[in-house]
Amino acid sequence: MRARNAVWWLVLLVATVFYAVPMLAMARFAFQRIPVIKLSWGNVFDKWTAAPLVDSLRNPDFHRAGLLSLGLAVATAALTVLLLVPTMTFAHLRSPRMRRFIELSSVLPFVVPAIALVIGFAAAFRDTAPIFVRSSFGMVPLLVITALPFTHRTIENGLSSLDLRTLADASRSLGAGWNRTIWTVIAPNIRGSIATASFLALTVVLGEFTIASLLLKNTLPLYLAYAQGQNPQGAFAVGLSLTALSAVFIALANRFGGTRPGSRQQR
Amino acid sequence: MSRNLVFSEVRKSFGRTVALDHFSVEVGEGELVTLLGPSGCGKSTALRVAAGFEVADGGDVRVGDESVLRKSASERNMGIVFQNYSLFPHLTVRENLEFGMRVRRIDSQVRRARVGELLDLVRLTGLEQRFPHQLSGGQQQRVALARALAVEPRVLLLDEPLSALDATVRLEVREEIRRIQRDSGIATLFVTHDQEEALAISDRVCVMSQGRVEQVGSPQAVYRYPNNPFVARFVGRVNDMAVTVVSTGVAVLQGGAAKFAVPPIGITSGEARLLLRPEDVRLTSPHRGATALGIVDSVHFGGATTSVDVELKEGGHMVRVTDATREMTCAVGEEVGVVFDTERALLTREA
Repeated sequence: MRARNAVWWLVLLVATVFYAVPMLAMARFAFQRIPVIKLSWGNVFDKWTAAPLVDSLRNPDFHRAGLLSLGLAVATAALTVLLLVPTMTFAHLRSPRMRRFIELSSVLPFVVPAIALVIGFAAAFRDTAPIFVRSSFGMVPLLVITALPFTHRTIENGLSSLDLRTLADASRSLGAGWNRTIWTVIAPNIRGSIATASFLALTVVLGEFTIASLLLKNTLPLYLAYAQGQNPQGAFAVGLSLTALSAVFIALANRFGGTRPGSRQQR
Repeated sequence: MSRNLVFSEVRKSFGRTVALDHFSVEVGEGELVTLLGPSGCGKSTALRVAAGFEVADGGDVRVGDESVLRKSASERNMGIVFQNYSLFPHLTVRENLEFGMRVRRIDSQVRRARVGELLDLVRLTGLEQRFPHQLSGGQQQRVALARALAVEPRVLLLDEPLSALDATVRLEVREEIRRIQRDSGIATLFVTHDQEEALAISDRVCVMSQGRVEQVGSPQAVYRYPNNPFVARFVGRVNDMAVTVVSTGVAVLQGGAAKFAVPPIGITSGEARLLLRPEDVRLTSPHRGATALGIVDSVHFGGATTSVDVELKEGGHMVRVTDATREMTCAVGEEVGVVFDTERALLTREA
């Protein structure tokens, strides 16, 4: 037992070092006003400054890219919820076969590389519906697909935990149509899953590079890649802050995901 | 406007499985009719077709003069209580009760007053701020009943509403349902597989098997005068014995010699089965006018009634005798005589 505990701690330690050391290196590079070649253990606590981050945040290009990414993230999360909740509810209630099909297609983004997706997407829509290629928000459907492996699983878990048929039947017998049933009966009971799925979608979009790059959209990751050449310290500062932000999102998702429906009073 | 519920010739299949086979039954205004049958007999399907959750393949379902089959579930205005707890978990008792009224855009003051009345009706006043998970199973089903009544439905459909409850609560809620149903005078279809429940609560019982109606009648009629062996075997307990009919109205137990009277209808000779209720068999002392002799196998004291299982010497049949009027003081292993009172017995060729 003790030996197993020791192994457990060792694995945790190695994993922590593996993740923390690069982060620390990144933080020192970004936030210490010391030339890289002079960084050493002796000056770990010297000359920390938030200036590179502040400067970057003041940059109008960053603003544009940041706002675009944020907009895309919110739009992706919203479209994900609007599409998945009704579709998956119907699949649960009406067609187990459709449920398996959705499950299978939700993991396709793991199999089909983003580059193939974008090329197909651009080729198909360039002539037929150019708005999808031209407009920045035209890539939202692609982002929804990219986030699908994470968002689908989360909502699936939420729906599986409910007696969906009884809830839907009860709601409809009381006179509610499908719309009201889905958004005022089912969705509130999986709000934890919906929140988690939304945060995961936000996180995926804030880190998505390939699609934006191929469609020539100036999102935050692209700006960071570009800024690395111009102002590496600033880019790293922003990158690190985004990582922290994503961690906050995931923590929030866990916080909401842990809330049981109907426990409003105890909170 | 009349508010009865009528199924006429309703058909419904799931793939090759026939769930409803020309199913016809009527629930009169103010009447409580129970659909009783083993699982898979189509009783819940009938309710779901009426509610609009399943689409019938043919036939018609009417409320009053109006066919409802073309309406969606949300337009049928039927109150439904489900087997599983169906209260919306994220809403309080009050919000659950108000749900249907909100859908109908009923004014908030009217809603508030109606919630008060409904909670009075199901005797749960004071619990309006509770969430479903803070209620017991019995309370949840009572709120579900109140919620179904909140929309002033044209008919009430109860889909095994008591089966998730434990025995004492079940009895309590059952009586509550009956009281409220009587008071409100609403046509009610009650689905159950529990024959005791069906006999106790119904105005009429509709016994079903394999999607068909086997018999419809008052609980007394269905129990006392079953139409066919299925009904006799399914509703209540029955002694099922192999007999040989020697002439019209006379039979002997297979493997035995003593003749006794059987209903003089239908079967005039040959092998048959005799279905006889336990209370239509009496114990006597051996050799005194007994139809057959046997050894007491076991005695079951059930409070108001006592049942005795007797293994007959002739043919080794096991016969159950139930008596409520006097105490049967026999011991296991004792030799006894049994007398068959076959006036209400059923004679059949079906195994």
